[in-house]
Amino acid sequence: MKKIEAIIKPFKLEEVKDALQDVGIQGMTVSEVKGFGRQKGHTEIYRGSEYTVDFLPKIKLEIVVDAGKVAEAVSAIINAAKTGKIGDGKIFVSNVDEAIRIRTEERGPGAL
Amino acid sequence: MKKIEAIIKPFKLEEVKDGLHDVGVEGMTVSEVKGFGRQKGHTEIYRGSEYTVDFLPKIKIELVLPDSKVPEAVGAIIKAAKTGKIGDGKIFVFSVEEVIRIRTEERGEAAV
Amino acid sequence: MKKFTINRFLVKLHDPRERTFFLALFGGKMLGLLACFVIVFGLPALLTSMTGKAHAQTASATSNTVAKALDAATNAIAGAAAAAPAADATPPNPPYVNPLNTMWVLVTAFLVFFMQAGFMFLEAGFARTRETVNVLLEGIVDTCLCGVLFWAFGFAWMFGSGNGFIGNQYYFLQGIPDTYGSTGVATLAYFLFQFAFADTCSTITSGAMLGRTGFWGDLWYSIGVSGFLYPIFGHWAWGPDGWLNNIKPAAFHDFAGSTVVHTIGGMIALAGAIVLGPRLGRRFKRDGGGPMPGHNMTIAAVGAVILWFGWYGFNPGSTLSAMDMQGIARVAANTTLAACSGGLASLFFVYPRSRKWDCGMTLNGLLAGLVAITCPCYWVSPGGSLIIGAVAGVFVVVATDVLEYLRIDDPCGAFPVHGVCGIWGTLSLGLFATGEFGAPTPTGADTSADALVKGLLYGGGTDQLVAQVIGNGAIGIGVFIVAMALMYAVKATGTLRISKEGELEGLDLHEHGAGAYPEQVTSSI
Repeated sequence: MKKIEAIIKPFKLEEVKDALQDVGIQGMTVSEVKGFGRQKGHTEIYRGSEYTVDFLPKIKLEIVVDAGKVAEAVSAIINAAKTGKIGDGKIFVSNVDEAIRIRTEERGPGAL
Repeated sequence: MKKIEAIIKPFKLEEVKDGLHDVGVEGMTVSEVKGFGRQKGHTEIYRGSEYTVDFLPKIKIELVLPDSKVPEAVGAIIKAAKTGKIGDGKIFVFSVEEVIRIRTEERGEAAV
Repeated sequence: MKKFTINRFLVKLHDPRERTFFLALFGGKMLGLLACFVIVFGLPALLTSMTGKAHAQTASATSNTVAKALDAATNAIAGAAAAAPAADATPPNPPYVNPLNTMWVLVTAFLVFFMQAGFMFLEAGFARTRETVNVLLEGIVDTCLCGVLFWAFGFAWMFGSGNGFIGNQYYFLQGIPDTYGSTGVATLAYFLFQFAFADTCSTITSGAMLGRTGFWGDLWYSIGVSGFLYPIFGHWAWGPDGWLNNIKPAAFHDFAGSTVVHTIGGMIALAGAIVLGPRLGRRFKRDGGGPMPGHNMTIAAVGAVILWFGWYGFNPGSTLSAMDMQGIARVAANTTLAACSGGLASLFFVYPRSRKWDCGMTLNGLLAGLVAITCPCYWVSPGGSLIIGAVAGVFVVVATDVLEYLRIDDPCGAFPVHGVCGIWGTLSLGLFATGEFGAPTPTGADTSADALVKGLLYGGGTDQLVAQVIGNGAIGIGVFIVAMALMYAVKATGTLRISKEGELEGLDLHEHGAGAYPEQVTSSI
């Protein structure tokens, strides 16, 4: 099993969710995060003066899938989240040793 | 590639960000979390009565780096976030198998 | 069982520990006895004397009865009807309390009081999450303190007769007349109205000092502001014998307090911000930084509108007379127009910088217009009000930039709004007074020739402008110097600024033990 963690632009969440559902991914965890990479911050205005916001709002999406589905899921995220502009985000893939569904105590890929 | 997850005190974020910037870390994701460890909760006051807050506000920082940069980054976080008092937080390091930059679809260390 | 003897007692007294014990015990007993005496004898005496007026009346009534009885006896003995004149010395009629004027002043006092809610909203909105409770409590405690101090001696110093610089009458509201001066307004209604003004002044100050002032420091400087600075400097302009009323050729005029409330408040705010220094982590524009944004623009915007609403008590109420209908209407209309043009001026003046429509600056702009029109509102035309407000709306932006350049951290913009626009508003009377209006009186407007106020632009010459410069300059500079001394004095006690750890943790948790939003993560990102 693999965990896919994607950092995306907040307004892309709906599209990414739909794309993932289309490739058969049923569950995900979403959180509101802030971050920066090459996009750095941007400036906002407060009472006549500009100030720099270092951390920009982003959405973090976490899904755990069977190893065989990773490629499909990753490309679904890319297709949906890509605007071609800086700040589109990143996808990280890492290994998951075990997954357990709490209600049924199923383990492994069956729990996903 | 490794993922570093650090839980730190909220008001240390600026210092940690600057410390990481100094060792060449270009991006990170930050989220507001709550948690407790040995610090346990603390007491707050509401209309004259004390009550215990179990979960204290913390900041979670996530960054993904090439293996070679991990010790440096961990050192920078420790240096910036340490106050010597209980509740300074923890750092976790995991393996990451794949990284993809959504905009360019670069993969691996190039995408970090 | 050992018997108590004088000897043994005297021997024991040689032992220092026993001596301390005895003295503590003895002192405690004495304190307790003293407390009993105070409660039994002092309290009733104090309370009776506090009813002041009523008590005095009863006393005089009693003595009158006695005198009458004596006279009757004398008459009876002498059997001479001709001795009657002494009995005709009936007590004088009580001064006439005008019910309409009293109600008007009370209603507007309530409106001015509600401005506290506006200030608390505005300041909380412009503060960071971590100091919200502090800002709110500061506003409330300011009000409570101000009420007690104004009762004890603030009202006496400001509105009692004394000399040109300080009043010396009505301490603890004792010996107050039925109506204040010739206004026909019940004195306690007038007291309430002026208390609300004093409260406004001290809350203005806190806007420039939030985020880094310890709560003890808050208390000390609040006592200084509402107990001493405001009443004493206010007496110069508004006291029955204030020296600024008597300057020649034209007297200083400040209808509702651009100088007395706003310049004083703004100047103290500036002194506080300078002595405190900026909040930790606040970097200024020329150092590559920018403002620390407030945490809740919704609350700030609603606060500004509540303040605007409260201003309909602040300015129209200052007629102190419900009978001057034209005057009240003019003041209310002028107040509105200045707020409108102030807000618009700020909005459009900052737009070209960033091509963004700036909410925060527009709020301060409309407040700047309100502050500026506070002094001249009775004597200018609606057109003049629009200009006065618009100029204030530009001044507030420029003043904010100047503070930024000088590296002075004023989180709410108290000095640009109240200090700078208070000065501008006071001076603007010398330019824009139309010369058609005189003064409100308990029975209507007084438009006799010597009451009329005429400014430079309406052909009145520079007399009024000079009077405004003298009045505003004397009060503004005087209060700034004293406020600097006050702030340095509080700083010397070590209570003015919170510790570095406390400031980083946030005043709410550090000073008050709880945040405003305990169920949410409220961090620095």
